[in-house]
Formats: sequence, structure tokens, C-alpha cells
Amino acid sequence: MNLIILSAVWGLIMMYGGVVSKRKSTPKILAIVGISILLITNLLEYYNLFAIHVDVKGMLKFTPFGLVFNSIVLLSMLFYFLLSTEDFDKVGAYPSEYYALIFFVLCGIGLASSFDTLLMLFLGIEIISIPLYILAGSDKKNLKSNEASLKYFLMGSFSTGVMLMGIAFLYGATGTFYIDAMNLGTGHLQPMVAIGIVLLMIALAFKVSAAPFHFWTPDVYDGSPTVFTSFMATIVKVGGFVAFLRLFDNAFGKMQSEWQTLIAIITAATLLIGNVTAVFQQSVKRMLAYSSIAQAGFMMFAIFALNTFAREGLILYSAAYCIATIGIFAILAKMKDYTFEGFNGLAKSHPALAFMNTVFLLSLAGIPLTAGFFSKYYMLIGAVKNGNQIWLVVFAVLMAAVSAYYYFRVIQAMYFREGNAEVAPVSGRFQTILAVATILVIILGIFPSLLTDLLYY
Amino acid sequence: MGITQILFWFLTALALGSALMVIFSKNPVHSVLWLIVTFFAISGHYILLNAQFLAIVNIIVYAGAIMVLFLFVVMLMNLNSELESQKGKWLKVAGAFSGGCLFIVIIAALKDSADMHQQVLLKSGDIGLIHNLGKALFENYVVPFELSSVLFLSAIVGTVVIGKKGD
Repeated sequence: MNLIILSAVWGLIMMYGGVVSKRKSTPKILAIVGISILLITNLLEYYNLFAIHVDVKGMLKFTPFGLVFNSIVLLSMLFYFLLSTEDFDKVGAYPSEYYALIFFVLCGIGLASSFDTLLMLFLGIEIISIPLYILAGSDKKNLKSNEASLKYFLMGSFSTGVMLMGIAFLYGATGTFYIDAMNLGTGHLQPMVAIGIVLLMIALAFKVSAAPFHFWTPDVYDGSPTVFTSFMATIVKVGGFVAFLRLFDNAFGKMQSEWQTLIAIITAATLLIGNVTAVFQQSVKRMLAYSSIAQAGFMMFAIFALNTFAREGLILYSAAYCIATIGIFAILAKMKDYTFEGFNGLAKSHPALAFMNTVFLLSLAGIPLTAGFFSKYYMLIGAVKNGNQIWLVVFAVLMAAVSAYYYFRVIQAMYFREGNAEVAPVSGRFQTILAVATILVIILGIFPSLLTDLLYY
Repeated sequence: MGITQILFWFLTALALGSALMVIFSKNPVHSVLWLIVTFFAISGHYILLNAQFLAIVNIIVYAGAIMVLFLFVVMLMNLNSELESQKGKWLKVAGAFSGGCLFIVIIAALKDSADMHQQVLLKSGDIGLIHNLGKALFENYVVPFELSSVLFLSAIVGTVVIGKKGD
């Protein structure tokens, strides 16, 4: 509950901070202080030391899984703010409002990781979505940003409608919003429940940009200002996944055999489309958009398998994917040219940046000794233990091999191509924080149990 | 057939008919006007279910405020049937096909549903009255009620950020 209440309150503080003080540094400092407070209070709640208690009538349930997930999100957010506060000023004239909207999104993620009724699920997903429509269009003079915002808004509200319809069908079948009280049984699905599950699956697949509901992703990620693309592709995406897993685990877990094939098809399609299309991209930003679809395919394995490995895997995957992608986007935001050629010769002029970028890219590709390896490993082992559709595992390994191609293209450009990559001035602080993130990626790649053990505190 | 049933079938026919007219009329202004008729018919259904408060809110908010806004937007943008962009034949076929698929799936799933043949019975007749609604809202549902304020606040912040003049 700490995260939900304090993030909403801190969003208000950010807004008033922008009114009271006109200094440019105020919102940055406030945001970093705010995210640190959220992280600390969330950890205190995890260790049962300090928690705000509100009588929620059983609508929210704070499990170790949810709290560990929140901590990962907040730690990634801390990296995100430390790395990209400078870029907030470049986007538009209202940085403190952008920060406020981001804090509201965190409130939504707090709901998504702890909901116990469909009502809270809906509120959480909507609180995550609505600020994003605005952030996508915050670069008002850029036509592509406007297009991204409008496209995201129209498609997003349509998928919200689908989700509401799904919730309505489930309510009609069971007469309750509470996940525990639904008692859907284990056998054959009632017709109305089946429709409800499928509609909810479609809506959530849209929110996490799983194929075939991914068509908005490349345009929106490409058109939005790069800082906000980084936010959308990481924090928001894993926030969607935690809601997806929580819903399908707690509410529909007992009838997994009824819907597992559908999830398997969505997973396979997401892996195929994300990876194969990413190969043909010319812009690194657009490549990362498709890569985020491909990574979503791997995260779908958590919902496919629904066992301990899958849950641990999703935690690990969130950490590995968020930190690495935030790092890559932070470096990308410093580049003048977003195409692959723009990275030519980066290793000569900025060896440290090029090395850290390489570690992040290797982690996304899932090379051993990086966090990405174990997160993919946990996902696949979860699917193997589940044992129903082994072809999916084989297919995923194949697609991981394809993904290595486009991640290595960036590495190749940085190390083996001649050219002088134009980079905006990089401060020493920026490099230090990136170095911390790099070390974290490597540590998690060697000792993944540091994170997964937290689930059983 | 009692008066309630006659009213029920009349309102149902009205709601479905006017909803179809929303889609079929060429002129966008007519579409909006038919939508108002649809909302009134649905409000009638709410009254039949003894949910007066919901019915009034539906008329005030949807048929009143939102529809007036729609009408203004349509008139200000000066849309009419000539200016409407011509959609390709295949797009229409694809739309009809995918819509039809959803229709068939829902019909197929619901045709065997046992619930279809049961009548809806209200436990007590006063469940939709404002007194009970307020009690439910501020006792059982007070947390989601307060949390939705975050949702609205972010929407308001967004409107200001997007709509403000200048950069």
C-alpha cells in the first residue's frame, strides 16, 4: 500500500513543485528524492517494518512477489531518472508535469501487482495507460509524436473497451468481482466465462504488445520522445505482465488446460513477428521497439507455464530487461544519429560507453554471464517442467538465436566499422551510473538467486 | 403481457434500432442524434430495473453533456458525407469478416448457456436507489472510488499539458 499511496501523493508534490519553484533543477531533485523514498518505503513494507494500513476490503493483497516486483520497478526507475533527467527538459515546457504523470503510472503499477478484484485490475491498467497517451504526445511540435499519441489513445481505449466487456462477462457468470470468490471450478468452462477469459486475454495482450495485438508498438515507440519510449518499453511493459500473470495465475490458474493453447499460439506469434521484423530495421530505436515485442514473447512464457520457475523467471526477467533496456535507451538518447550507421566507430571515441552498451545488448540477447541468460533459462525451464507444449521451447531457442543477429549488428557497428559516431557530451556521473547498472547486470547473471531468494523471505 | 413487458420490448427495439441507425446513417450529425435516442432507451431500461439514479446520471452525463460535446465537434469540423474518406472495398470486407467472426463466436458460446433461459430476479426492489448506491460506494467501494481520483487527475494534467498554448 505504501507505493500506491505515496506515489499518488508524490505526483501531487511534483506538480506543486513546478508551480512554487521555477528553477530548472527542482523537478529533477524532487523526482530522484521521491523515487528513493518510494523504494525505501516499499522495502520497509517488504521487511514488515513500516506499512500504511488501509482497510481495502480484500480488494488488494500485498504478497512478497508483488513487493519484490515493486522494488525492481522502483530500482529501475531510480536508474532511469538518474540517467535521463537531462532529456526531460528537451522534450517540452512542462517537465514537472511529466514527472507527475510518471509517478501516477507507478501508482497504477502498484495496483497491478497487488489487485485481488477485477475492479482494481481495471483501475490499475487504466492509471498506467492514460498518462502514457499524454507522454507519447508530449513533443507537441513533432508530427510523429502527435501521431504516436493519437494512435496509442485510439487503440488503447478500444482495448480498454474489450477488457471491460470481458470483466462484464465474468461478472455476469459469477456475480462477483473478487478473484477468490469467483470459484470458476476446474472442469469445462462455462460459455460466459470462456468469453470473459478470451476478451481479458486480448486486452492484456494488447497492453503488453503481444502479437497479433502489437501493431501499435513500433509506431508509438518510434514516434514518442526517446526518454518516454524507454519508460514505456520497460517499466510499463513489465507492469502489464505482472497484472497478466497475477490474473491468470490466481483467477484462471485451475483451468489452465482450457486456455493454454491460446497463450502458446500468442507466444509463438509474438516471438516470430518480433524477432523476424527486428532483423530488417534500419533505425536502432525501431529495432528496439521490435526487440521489446520479442522480449514480450519470452515473458509470455511466465503466463504459459504458471509454476514456480515461471514466477521467479518473471521477476528475474523484469530486472534484467528493465535495467539493460534503460541503459541502451539512455545511450541512444545521447546519439545524434539513430540508425545503425550512427554507432559506427563508437568504440574508438567512447570505449567505456561502447563496452557498457555491449554488455546490455548481450544481456538482451541472453548470452551467459549476463542477467538475460538466466532470465531466459528460467522461463524455458518453467515451460519444460509444465511439459505440455515442448515445440514452443524449441521454437523460442531458435528465435533467441535470431535475436542475437540484430543485437550483434549494433556491437559490430561500434567495434568493427570505421566512422565517427556523434555523441552529445557525456558527464562523468552519467558514466558512473551506467557502470553501476552494468555491474548489476553481470552480478545478476552470475548469482540470480540473489533476487529469486527474496521471494521466499 | 403486462405493461412492464410491453415497455421492455418497446425499449429494446428502440435501443437496437437506433443503435443500428447510428452506424447506417451517412450524416454524422444524424448519427449523434440517433445515439441520443439510444441512450434514452437504455435509461428507460435502467428505470425498469428500478435504478433511477443510474438512469438520471445516464441522461445527464451521456445524453446531455457528452452528446452535446460530440455534436459541437462534429459541427465545428464540418464533416459531411461528401468529405468522408472513401474506404476501400477490401477494408469493408475485412471489417465485416472480423466483426462477423466475433459475432459468431459469441453466439456459439452463448447459445448453450443455461443462463439464457433464466429470468433475472432482483433480490429486493430498492437496490438501485441512491441511498443504497451511496452506501455501497462509500463503505465497500471507497478505496477504488478514491483511487479513481488518481485516474481523473492524470487525465486533467494531460489535458492541460496537451491543450495549453505555446510549445
